[in-house]
Amino acid sequence: MVKKKQTADELRGLGLYLHIPFCLSKCAYCDFYSLPCGQLDAREQKSDMRRYTDSLMLHMEDYSRPCEEYIVETAFIGGGTPTCMPTPLLLDIIDSAYDNFQIAEDAEFTIEANPATVDRRMLKNLRKNGVNRISFGLQSANDDELRGLSRAHNFEDFLESFDDARRAGFDNINIDVMYGIPNQTKTSLRATLDCVIALDPEHISFYGLKIEDGTPFARRRDTLVLPDEDTECDMYLESIEYLEKMGYHHYEISNFARDGMECRHNLKYWNCEEYLGLGPAAHSYFGGKRFSFKRDIKAYMEALEDTDSGVDLLDDSYEVSQSDRSGEYIMLRLRLCDGLDVNEYEKRFSLDFEKQYGKYLKLYVENDFMRHDGASYSFTPKGMYVSNYILSAMLDFDSGIDEKKTIGTDM
Amino acid sequence: MTERQKYTRNFSIIAHIDHGKSTLADRLLEKTRAVSSRDMEEQVLDNMDLERERGITIKARAVNVHYDAKDGHTYSFNLIDTPGHVDFNYEVSRSLNACEGALLVVDATQGIEAQTLANAYLAVDANLEIVPVINKIDLPSADIEQVRGEIEEVIGIPSENCPAVSAKTGLNIEQVLEHIVTDIPAPGGDEDAPLKCLIFDSYYDSYLGVVVYVRVFDGKVRSGDRIHLMHKNTEFEVVDVGTMAPFGLSKTDELTAGQVGYITASIKDVGETRVGDTITLADNPTASPLPGFKHAQPMVFSGIYPSDGAKYGDLRDALEKLQLNDAALTYDPETSAALGFGFRCGFLGLLHMEIIEERLEREFNLDLITTAPSVIYELTMRDGSVKHIDNPSNYPSPDEIEVAAEPVVRASIITPTEYVGGIMDLCQDRRGTSIDMKYIDAHRVELHYELPLNEIIYDFFDALKSRSKGYASLDYEISEYRPSQLVKLDILLNGDIVDALSFIVHADKAYARARKICEKLKDNIPRQLFEIPVQAAIGGKIIARETVKALRKDVLAKCYGGDITRKKKLLEKQKEGKKKMRQLGSVEVSPEAFMAVLKLDDN
Repeated sequence: MVKKKQTADELRGLGLYLHIPFCLSKCAYCDFYSLPCGQLDAREQKSDMRRYTDSLMLHMEDYSRPCEEYIVETAFIGGGTPTCMPTPLLLDIIDSAYDNFQIAEDAEFTIEANPATVDRRMLKNLRKNGVNRISFGLQSANDDELRGLSRAHNFEDFLESFDDARRAGFDNINIDVMYGIPNQTKTSLRATLDCVIALDPEHISFYGLKIEDGTPFARRRDTLVLPDEDTECDMYLESIEYLEKMGYHHYEISNFARDGMECRHNLKYWNCEEYLGLGPAAHSYFGGKRFSFKRDIKAYMEALEDTDSGVDLLDDSYEVSQSDRSGEYIMLRLRLCDGLDVNEYEKRFSLDFEKQYGKYLKLYVENDFMRHDGASYSFTPKGMYVSNYILSAMLDFDSGIDEKKTIGTDM
Repeated sequence: MTERQKYTRNFSIIAHIDHGKSTLADRLLEKTRAVSSRDMEEQVLDNMDLERERGITIKARAVNVHYDAKDGHTYSFNLIDTPGHVDFNYEVSRSLNACEGALLVVDATQGIEAQTLANAYLAVDANLEIVPVINKIDLPSADIEQVRGEIEEVIGIPSENCPAVSAKTGLNIEQVLEHIVTDIPAPGGDEDAPLKCLIFDSYYDSYLGVVVYVRVFDGKVRSGDRIHLMHKNTEFEVVDVGTMAPFGLSKTDELTAGQVGYITASIKDVGETRVGDTITLADNPTASPLPGFKHAQPMVFSGIYPSDGAKYGDLRDALEKLQLNDAALTYDPETSAALGFGFRCGFLGLLHMEIIEERLEREFNLDLITTAPSVIYELTMRDGSVKHIDNPSNYPSPDEIEVAAEPVVRASIITPTEYVGGIMDLCQDRRGTSIDMKYIDAHRVELHYELPLNEIIYDFFDALKSRSKGYASLDYEISEYRPSQLVKLDILLNGDIVDALSFIVHADKAYARARKICEKLKDNIPRQLFEIPVQAAIGGKIIARETVKALRKDVLAKCYGGDITRKKKLLEKQKEGKKKMRQLGSVEVSPEAFMAVLKLDDN
C-alpha cells in the first residue's frame, strides 16, 4: 500500500462516491438501486452486508493505482441508506478509502443518513473517523405526508437524529425536503420549511417529486392525489424566494446553502470535474470517460471476489466526444445559479457561446427565462423550471447513446 | 373459331375485399402446376410488399397457364387479376372487358357484401359469364346454402351447382378449373380482320420500356408491326410480343384473336398507354376503337411537402419515378406560405393517396407533411368564367363567386340491420340524401345515399365501420356537381393564418367543424414556452378558439448522483421528439396535425 506521494500541487482533484445498496424498506417514489433488507433476519443481513463491504473494499483496491495522480477532495457515501449498515462495516469502508486513496486534509466527506437508522454512538464514530458532513433524508415535517411516501421514520425520529448529529460534532448538515408530494399543500410545505429552517442546517436540498417508471408510485399513479402543475410550479418559485429571504442562498436548481456551505462534492458534477463512483449502479467521469457499473449486487460481488469469473462489472462506458463536452458543460453549468461565464467557456472550448446560441439567448433573456449579467448567462428560477425544454432546443449530443438504455421519461 | 381459340379461356376473379380472391388465384396456379407449392411465394400475383401488407391488390396482373382438363384437352387459361378497391373501378372494368368470364368469389361466412355486388355489376356490364365460387367452406360459420340463395336472389345468377371450395386448404379446387372449361365461353374474334387490341394494364421496365398488357379481339400482332394507339393517337414499332408466364414474360411470334399477352414497343412513358385504349395497326387500322375508354381522372387532391425543404428535389424525383408506373397519379408544383415548396397531387381516391404517401415515405425514405385531402370545386365566377379549385388556399373570395358547386357521389352501403339507424344518422350528418333502402335478406340492408364527396373522403369510412362494428361496407361513384353553400375556413396559430390548414366546408357545418378542428389542433400542438391561441376564422371573422397553455415545468430536478449520461439521453429524446415537429410560423406542430383534424367522428 506504500505509494509514491506527490505534492498536492501536482495532483489532480477527484470526487469519490461510494454506493451502499441497502435500505430498510423501499420508499414509494425511489428508483435508486438498493435492496430492502428490513425483512431479512439479523444474521442474513449481517452476512450480506459483510460480503458487500468486502467487495467494495476490493473495488477500491482496484482503483488505488489508477488514482495515484489524484487527490480526493470530496468523498460521498450514498445509497440506498448507508446508515442501515452496522457501524463497523461503515468504518471498514472509510478506512479502506483512506488506505487506497490520497484524501485531502480538508476534504469534504459526506454520508447520507436516514433518521430511523442512526444513533449517537454511530454518529460519533463516523465523525471521529473522517466523516464531516451529513445529509439527512427528511422529505417532509408532516407525518401523514411521510407515510404517504412510505418513509421509514416520522418527524420526531428526525429531530432526535438531527440533535444527535449536532452533539456528535457535525457542523455541516444537509436536510432533503420534497415538494409536489401526495396530499401536500402550499401551507403544509411552508410549515415543513419553517421546521427545517428552525433547526438551522447549513444546507437544504429541495427536490420536486418525479414519478419514475417501475416504482410503486408509478403503479399507483392514478390513485395519487398530487398538487397540479401550477401549484407545484408555485411551490418551487415561492420557496426559492422564501429560502433566500431566510438566508439560504439558492445556488443550484434544487440546492440552497448558507454562504460557503455549498456541497463541494455535487459541485464537481456541475462543474464537469472528475469523479469516481464505486459500487453497483455508481457513475463516474474519469479520464475523459463516462462509465457506470451494473445494477446488480450479486454480479458485483461475484466479479470482485473471483477475478477469473469473467463477469463484467461495467454497464456503460464511453469516451465523451469533443462536441459533447461543450454541450455537457452548458447543460451542467446552467444548473448553477451563477450560470456560465462566456470567457471561461471560450478558454475551455475555443468557442463563442453567444455566437453559437445567439438567437436562443436573445429570446430567453427577453422573456425572463434567462438573465445576462456581464459575462455570464444563467437561468432565472422560471427558466430553471423549464430548463429541459430550453436545453433540448439548444443542445445536440452525438454520444451514440443506445436508445434502449434510456430509463424512463422526464415528466 | 380457331383451334387455339377453342381451347382458350380468359377470365378474371372478382370479390369483395378479403373474400379470398388472391388465395384462390394461388391455388389455381398451383393446381395447373404452373407453380409448385414449394416455389409458391404466398400470393404470387401480388408482387408489391405494400400490397401484401395491406392484403389488397393494387395493380392488375395477368398470367397464362395451361390446364389438362378432364375432357382430355389442354386449355390455355388467362387469369387476369383485378384491383379490389372502389378507387380503381375503371381499371377493374377494363380488365373485365378483356375476359369472357369471371369467377365471383363469395365468402361462405360473410355472404354478399358491397363490393361483391359492385364487381358483379361490372362483370354483368361487361357481358361476362359469371361463375360463382363459394369460398372459405372450411370455416365453422360457413353457410353454403345460405350464400347460394343470396347469389341467386340478389345477383340473379343460378348457383345451385357452383363450386364450393376452400382456397386455403385446396378443397374442391379442381371443380373450379373444370367449371372454367365448361361454363366460360371460348373467346371469339376474327384473326384475319384488322388488329383490335384492348390495353388493360401496363408497367414500366427499365430495360424493355413500357410493357403493355393486351387482349387481342381481332387480327394479329407481331414483332416489327407498326401499331397505332387510337385514343392517344400515337404510333410505335413493336419490338416483342408474348404471354405472361407465372415467373416472367415469354416471347412468342405473334398474338392472335382471343389471346391475352404483352407488347413491348420501346415506349418510354406509361402515360402513353392509357388503360382502355385500343391498339390497331397503323397501315390497316380497325374501323373504330373499343368502347368504354375514359381519361384518367383524379378525384382527390392533397398537398405533399418535404419536412426538410432541402429534400424538395428528392420528392420531385420520387414522384416522377412513381408516375412511371402509375398514370393515374398527377402532380404539379405548388407553394405554401406555411410549408414552403411542394406538390399538389391528384389521386383516384383516398386509398390511392395513402398508398402513394406510404410508398414515398418507405421506398424513397422521405419525411413528408401532407395536407388534408381536397376535392375539386367548380366555381362559376361573377364575371362568367368557370374555375376549378383543388387547393383550398386558392379558393377565391366569396364576393367574386356566383355559384359554387361540389362533386356529389352515389353511395351504396350494405350493413346488418341493427346498425341501420346509426348509419342513417351518419349519412344525414354528412349532408346525405336517402335514395332508397332494400333488404337483402332478413339480416342485411342495402342503403343508397347521395353524399357530397368532400364528406366521404375524410373519415366517413372509419365512422361507418365503427358504427357497424366493422360489418358495413361501402361503394360509391361520382354522379354530378351540385351547387352548394360553401365557405372557406382559415386556421390561425398565434394569430397567423396557416394556409396549409385551410378547409372548404359547407356553411351549415362551419361552426361545428371549426370548433372541432381547434380542439384537435390543440391536441397536436405540444406545449411551448408561450401560450398559443388556436383560432378558426371565416373571411377574417374568428368563429372558434382554443388555447394551448404555456409550459411551466420541464426540468430534471435531481442530478441522480453523477449520472450525467441519463440527463443527456433525456435531452436527446426530447430533441428527437422536437425534430418531428413542424415549425409553422412561431409554433411547433406535430406532423400528424394535418390528418388528425380530419378525424372528426366522435362515436
